[in-house]
Amino acid sequence: MTIADLETGDKAIIIKVNLNHPSSYRILEYGFTPGQNIEIVNKSIFNDPIAVSLRGTLIAIRKNDAKCIEVEKN
Amino acid sequence: MISGQSEKRKLITLLGPPNSGKTTLFNLLTGKKYKTVNYPGATTEYSISKFTDDHGISCDLMDSPGIISLIPSSPDEKITIDNLYEHPEYGKPDVVIVTIDASQFSRHFLLAKQLLESGFKIIIAITMNDILAEKGFYIEIAELKRILNTSVLKVDPRKKDDIGILLKNINEYLDADFEHTYKHVNYDEKKLLETFEEIGRIEKSVINFKIDKANKHLEELNTSVSGYLPDKMTIRIDKIMLHKIWGLFIFLIAMGGVFSAIFWLAAPLMEGVDHIFSHISDFVTSNLAPGWISDLLSNGIIGGLGAVMVFLPQIIILFVILGLLEDTGYLARGAMLIDLPLSKIGLNGRSFVPMLSGFACAIPAVLAARTIQNKRERYLTIFIIPLMSCSARLPVYGLLLAFLLPGQFILSGFVLSLIYLFGVITSLTVAGILNKYKSSIIKIEDNSSFIMELPVYRIPRFSNIFKHTYENSWEYVKKAGPIIILFSILLWFLTYFPEPDKYGYTNAGKTDNSVLKSKVTGFDENSENQQNSDYERISNSYAARIGKFIEPIMLPLGLDWRVGVSLITTFAAREVFVSSLALIFKISDSEDENIRESLLNSMKDARISSTGEKIFTTSTVIGLIFFFALAMQCISTLAITKKETGGWKLPLLQVIVYTGSAYLVMFLIVNALRFIGVN
Repeated sequence: MTIADLETGDKAIIIKVNLNHPSSYRILEYGFTPGQNIEIVNKSIFNDPIAVSLRGTLIAIRKNDAKCIEVEKN
Repeated sequence: MISGQSEKRKLITLLGPPNSGKTTLFNLLTGKKYKTVNYPGATTEYSISKFTDDHGISCDLMDSPGIISLIPSSPDEKITIDNLYEHPEYGKPDVVIVTIDASQFSRHFLLAKQLLESGFKIIIAITMNDILAEKGFYIEIAELKRILNTSVLKVDPRKKDDIGILLKNINEYLDADFEHTYKHVNYDEKKLLETFEEIGRIEKSVINFKIDKANKHLEELNTSVSGYLPDKMTIRIDKIMLHKIWGLFIFLIAMGGVFSAIFWLAAPLMEGVDHIFSHISDFVTSNLAPGWISDLLSNGIIGGLGAVMVFLPQIIILFVILGLLEDTGYLARGAMLIDLPLSKIGLNGRSFVPMLSGFACAIPAVLAARTIQNKRERYLTIFIIPLMSCSARLPVYGLLLAFLLPGQFILSGFVLSLIYLFGVITSLTVAGILNKYKSSIIKIEDNSSFIMELPVYRIPRFSNIFKHTYENSWEYVKKAGPIIILFSILLWFLTYFPEPDKYGYTNAGKTDNSVLKSKVTGFDENSENQQNSDYERISNSYAARIGKFIEPIMLPLGLDWRVGVSLITTFAAREVFVSSLALIFKISDSEDENIRESLLNSMKDARISSTGEKIFTTSTVIGLIFFFALAMQCISTLAITKKETGGWKLPLLQVIVYTGSAYLVMFLIVNALRFIGVN
């Protein structure tokens, strides 16, 4: 499952980032790396982009970008 | 290497991720004296300054926009990083101070790590230690310093001692000999992952918990040392700000508030500025002998200056509001909220800020589009920015609305917001159409993405907002001012000369007695005759000769050569329209009226000389409003668009599409209104 599949309030741990996705590099730079805990804090009006808490901050990310981040739900 | 640099003044560059306390530190070190280098795009501006005298350091300190890594992913970041390695004017930095938010250590440290690998001599300034302390942790500075073998220190801007230690470190670094050879780092995904693992290890060894709070935070400690949950208050506020109904409601209220403030708050101030300049103009004409000098001063120069200054209040208000939205943290939320709808028409949530800035001025707005990574989305955003109703159009709308709805301020305000809305809707429609035929117009395919940090909500720092507002407004005056005054003088010359021959040729279309009389008597104290002689002067002027050449394309719009000439001058800047009309209809200052009122009065009487038809009627004024809403009339915007898109294709397309449709739409509106009986 990926971050894009999670619902608001879900907590998860990052398993891996799919490096074939064109946004993967930027996503890694923002700190979405394996082993990190995340939580879906909010979703935008149209359910996309989503607000993810990661490493003590909030990142807004489009679902299309978020789907390259594989997670395991806590 | 070292000897080559010896003549150069030493340079310190301040770098850091967004919201890491970089600007606060900059202001603290440099005080109020600074200058902005480069063009003040909302995101690409940076300040350079000397240290304040009491710090005893003689070198330049350069601020730079926030970046998260040394690998650029947008043109905006590329400029910052290129300037870091070698600034075209100031050269290579001798020392780089990098700020890191202690509570964001694991993310912010990446930049410092890359800087170290590139060979920069860096000082790591750890900020916001109090926030980390609230969570129950602290950073062991000495240990971090030992691991990295570079200068690391805590900086709390409120503590004098911290700054003292920082200055001591800077001095030591500046004194040491140093090779200025920096290599560009190249991080692939694997390296990035490894670096984050290393940062994780460093984090574990330098961030410790305070004994008293240890038990409470053990759980967080197990996952990531500084925890993964952000500021709790921010999450709570976001529950409302990003709410499906309330979020949208607040967004619409905020945007509505921006535009009404531009109009309501600025109106009395603009009135005041107008009064000041008409008084100066009156003073000049009443104290100088009538003649070309007095006319040039009062109409050409002071009138032109007034045209620049009159909408400075609006620009200032707009920049203050934009600053407020940005500094509170709301701007990023706005971008997030409208990312999805904008992505449907080929734009991006990041187009939000450039589009919003477009309401102030298209030039910084085009530059702000540099933050959009995707090239096609960036070009499309740049393309539609001129349709946002910029502040240069405001004086024009102000005049036209005052003519159309005299004294009805509330209704005028409402119509004005409709004009703004029209601009927004047209721009989105244009984007949608272009996006549909994207392959034939903007032939670029690129990955479209939206990843953006949502900063913590905070109380805005007014000193920063006012500083930026001051910079931007002053930059506006400096840039627009000379052009407007130059065109004002040029136009004055064209309307004043050649000197009419007192007994000479008859002028076009106007042969009634008063004109003949004024011709015979020359200068006349009688104001009616004075006006007639003014009319005679202008209709024989060079401007009239140019104007009459283009009159055939103006007549279908119900306009004559005089409005035509005024429209030509708007290519220097749209706001020149008002001062051009004033000059060309020869508004001589009467005692009890201000410039605007006397302009409105002469607009009411103006007629096309060949047909005797009134020029400014309900239909033509409404038509003119639409013309200004659509037409691409700003040479500076065209130049900046050419520069930012690397070719003439987009700017030329803007001129053809926007100005062409402006003419067509005005033609249709004027004639349709006249057809249904609205003159």
